[in-house]
Amino acid sequence: MGEVTRSMEARGGGAVAAVERQRRAQPSGWWGALLLIASEAALFGCLIATYFYLRFKSGTWPPDGIEKPSVTLPLVFTAMLLAGCLPVAAAVRAAKAGLAKRAWWLLALAAAVQATYLGLQINLLVDNLDSFSPRVDAYASAYYALLGLHHAHVAIGLAFDLWVLAALARGLTAYRLTAVRILGLYWYFVSAMAVLVVLTQLYPSL
Amino acid sequence: MSPLHPHSPDSHDIATLWWWMLLAAGIVFLGAVALLLIGWFRRGEPGLPFFGESERANLGLVITFGMGIPIVVLVALFIVSDLYVLGKTDAPTSNSTGLTVTVVGHQWWWEARYPAGGAVTANEIHIPARTPVNLLARTADVIHSFWVPELNRKIDMIPGQTNRIELYAEEAGTYRGQCAEFCGLQHAHMAFRVIAEPRPEFERWLSASERPARAPDGAEASEGRRVFMENACAGCHTIAGTPAQGTVGPDLTHLASRQTLAALTVPNDRRELGRWIRNPQEIKPGAKMPGLELSNAQFHAIVTYLAGLR
Amino acid sequence: MAVAVPEASRERLERLERIWREPPGVIGWITTTNHKRIGILYFFTALAFFAAGGVEALLIRTQLIGPNGTVLSPVEFNQVMTMHGVTMIFLFVIPMSAGAFGNYLLPLMIGARDMAFPRMNALSYWIYLCSGIFMYVSLLGGNAPNAGWFDYVPLASKTFSPGPGIDFYALGLLFNGISTLATAINFIVTIFKLRAPGMSLNRMPLFCFAFLAVSFALVFALPALNAALILLELDRLLGFHFYDVFRGGDTILWQNLFWIFGHPEVYIIILPAFGIATAIIPTFVRRRMVAFPLVALAEILVALIGFGVWAHHMFAVGLSTITTIYFAGVSLIIVIPSGIQLFSWITTIVTGTPRFKTPLLWIIGFIILFILGGLSGVMFAAIPFDQQLTDTYFVVAHFHYVIFGAAVFPLLGGMYYWFPKVTGRMYHERWGQASFWLTFVGMNVTFFPMHILGLDGMPRRDYTYSPGLGWTGLNLIESLGAYLLAAGLGMVVVNLLVSLFRGEPAGADPFGGDTLEWSTTSPPPEYNFPVIPTVSSPYPMWDEEDRERDAANLERGEKVLEQGHETPASTLVDAEWDEILEMPSGSPWPPLLALALAGVFALVLLKQWLAAAIFIALIALVLVAWHAKEPAEA
Repeated sequence: MGEVTRSMEARGGGAVAAVERQRRAQPSGWWGALLLIASEAALFGCLIATYFYLRFKSGTWPPDGIEKPSVTLPLVFTAMLLAGCLPVAAAVRAAKAGLAKRAWWLLALAAAVQATYLGLQINLLVDNLDSFSPRVDAYASAYYALLGLHHAHVAIGLAFDLWVLAALARGLTAYRLTAVRILGLYWYFVSAMAVLVVLTQLYPSL
Repeated sequence: MSPLHPHSPDSHDIATLWWWMLLAAGIVFLGAVALLLIGWFRRGEPGLPFFGESERANLGLVITFGMGIPIVVLVALFIVSDLYVLGKTDAPTSNSTGLTVTVVGHQWWWEARYPAGGAVTANEIHIPARTPVNLLARTADVIHSFWVPELNRKIDMIPGQTNRIELYAEEAGTYRGQCAEFCGLQHAHMAFRVIAEPRPEFERWLSASERPARAPDGAEASEGRRVFMENACAGCHTIAGTPAQGTVGPDLTHLASRQTLAALTVPNDRRELGRWIRNPQEIKPGAKMPGLELSNAQFHAIVTYLAGLR
Repeated sequence: MAVAVPEASRERLERLERIWREPPGVIGWITTTNHKRIGILYFFTALAFFAAGGVEALLIRTQLIGPNGTVLSPVEFNQVMTMHGVTMIFLFVIPMSAGAFGNYLLPLMIGARDMAFPRMNALSYWIYLCSGIFMYVSLLGGNAPNAGWFDYVPLASKTFSPGPGIDFYALGLLFNGISTLATAINFIVTIFKLRAPGMSLNRMPLFCFAFLAVSFALVFALPALNAALILLELDRLLGFHFYDVFRGGDTILWQNLFWIFGHPEVYIIILPAFGIATAIIPTFVRRRMVAFPLVALAEILVALIGFGVWAHHMFAVGLSTITTIYFAGVSLIIVIPSGIQLFSWITTIVTGTPRFKTPLLWIIGFIILFILGGLSGVMFAAIPFDQQLTDTYFVVAHFHYVIFGAAVFPLLGGMYYWFPKVTGRMYHERWGQASFWLTFVGMNVTFFPMHILGLDGMPRRDYTYSPGLGWTGLNLIESLGAYLLAAGLGMVVVNLLVSLFRGEPAGADPFGGDTLEWSTTSPPPEYNFPVIPTVSSPYPMWDEEDRERDAANLERGEKVLEQGHETPASTLVDAEWDEILEMPSGSPWPPLLALALAGVFALVLLKQWLAAAIFIALIALVLVAWHAKEPAEA
């Protein structure tokens, strides 16, 4: 039968790193998160497909009266969010190696970047709302729905950031390591969606 | 109104397709039941008849009946129905037909327009027999579906879209149709008639329909016309050649020449017409026509006027 | 199975029982995280919704028993007709097959002690219950959704359905969908990780393969429905224009999104039934399933190909010819994996030595009805035929044969089959067979004439019809059949109820079953297995040596996992033992979270945005509390 661990009992950097080295299968929570992410990705897929479906059924796109979206700022912001994935990935590696403090600071840095991203994007959205409302046309409805869905996911990610930071501050356990890994998966997913969403959003101007 | 009583080449093709499919389905079904009966009769002995207990034979049976034979049958079905028959029954090119009729679905009646001469009617669609007719299917509100099974397949009426179907009646006759896409409260009472007539009779009907409404005949009819124009009626209905130019409800210019009222719900006689006008909700609850506050004499007069609009 | 339990074993059993015991009474049930209790909660709730849907069906059939019926007004009929479909699909058949059967049996069949996420499992149930109540509240005040279970726009738009009915539909289904998604994720992770060491994927029972396929299908199909519903509510509540053809939107967008979900949904409905059939057949014909690997593959293929056929529900819409031909072609391809399964079952029955007991009778009925439903389905792949017969009673016949015949019959068979396991008592065999025959006859008398009625031209969803169209006689027969069918189902319920109190004690394995649930007591203890079972084939109960090894392990204390609430976790493909997991015990958070969610949906329905936002904050707090106690601290 060999050595089979009660992995959930691991506390402290050393024990957690040991458990992590020994495991051969991914934790349950990791799988669950992956599947949830797959489902959410499919939801984004449906919304993006809706955007292009409506586009190909339309004449002018955007319709008269709505300006084509400006390209620079959204692309810069997206790049910022993608850059935020680097500290996230480093945090996951650190946590796997049992380095709780390093992981914490990296996550805090990532959260700061992500929060800034969200703030800037919401600002841009409010500006958009001043020039055209989602009620004006299906183009606008699709535009705001896609952006709104994405920003909602970022906001949830920030809340998740806060929770993980609070938990990690109390030390590292196998459970909290899984949480960090899931957080990583989530931000990779949100960032990938950010790229797809921004390309869709900017499509008329590209 | 059955797809199995075809009166056009297209519906013939589809009915024939059905009978062949029924035959094939019957063979498959009986074959499967036979196998199960074998299972029943041989319930004491393991293994197959002939082959005995052979996993290879078992696998062979599964692959042959579960994959091999179905592939052959399904490919045949696909070629025959989705390439051959579909090719024959698909909507025609627009300039290959002798007549175009536009039918617009409304909750819960049918508007029929003959673009060539401007005739407009409701719930009865006259066509010349043995002539291909290009039918344009549209809707004024929700999704409806135009279906006269004895003549052809159904075609949905989608907002923002004009769909096309060919109507061709092999012989003169009256063919019933009904809305075939759930459209709200009175979906069940949204039927229509396609009346195919010999060419001369159709032409006579068409020119009569293109003429404006007859003048009222007699004092009561004139009074009826006046009540009609002065009340809500004229706001919803059109009577060609009069101030009534509403487009919410059916065109009434030649109402008296139609066989039914309320999209085949009741026959078109004075009694039903009176009942309908007094209280449409009693005949077709949910219909969008309101009842009106009029005196008995006024109702009577309107009925007399409308009954003269041949 | 050991009869006299030795001393050490008895002590271990007592210890396990103490560890796994849940609080007594109602509190125990409300805070339960045990998959068997959750399965039982699902069972009774789904049964209640089955009764509601059945009453709706009987109302419809009574209204249609003669022409110009006056039992239901058109306003009432349209709501009853819609709620019948919504109830049966979303509140009965999926919760019964996945929530009741799946939850109860999956861990038992793979040799685990619970699901991968026990608290989320409970959450699934409470959300299901709340969403069902949410939707039925709409009936009060006559505000039930009334645009049919597929709710086409623009009929379902604010313009043509200004009341709250459609909002109940959309928000209710969004709410319900969370439950189903959570269950699907739970099943996948449980199957991936919690199989008993030694149960490699190719040794997993076919029942589990069916649920794996169903769960993946749900993960990818539900988002399409969610997208459709979210866009609908954005249009209805906030004035967006997704489906508004006058402002750049599109009517058919709804149909595409809905059916991208809707078609996989029907395979989701039927696959668990296939799983139940593959569990019952080997037991009663006393041989292994013919072509086991092909059947497993076929189950997965059906789920996969099911994503490529959705527009075959739209052949009359006016799509381009090439599009319709493509969808018809793929719809024909899906017949192949179904055919493989069908002939595998039939061959297994023919080559085995069947005992025609009640559970097997239901499966044979299922096979016959599935063939009939499948044949009428194949006919619909002939596009011109579809364009004549879609939206008529022919299609109503087709889908009732596949849903009632092919999905519900195995559920009824499964109720009989696992009744002894769940209750510890045997059902009454003679009455069981009688209930099968009555239901089978009733079902055919009700639904077979509908084929003819459709061929006679009667459209579906008509609240009444005129005399003189040739529809009267057939409608009368169908309505009488419906009463017969109701009697058959009533007989099933009465049989099981009476047997619950008066049935003979069943023992652990009354039928000679092949899968692991039969190795433990009836009913199983909270901890399912005293010893994690040794597995070397998909038919563990027929491997005598392995079962003897289990008894020896119990005595020695090996693989007993008695240090806490424990179950083993294995690697994905080969099920090598990887770690021991500590599972949560009872928790109040799942029902509380479900209530908070219900609050959010109710407030959105009422357009109380601020209050809804507060409830969302509440949800966040509950989630924090939920995760506050970690497994290491349990």
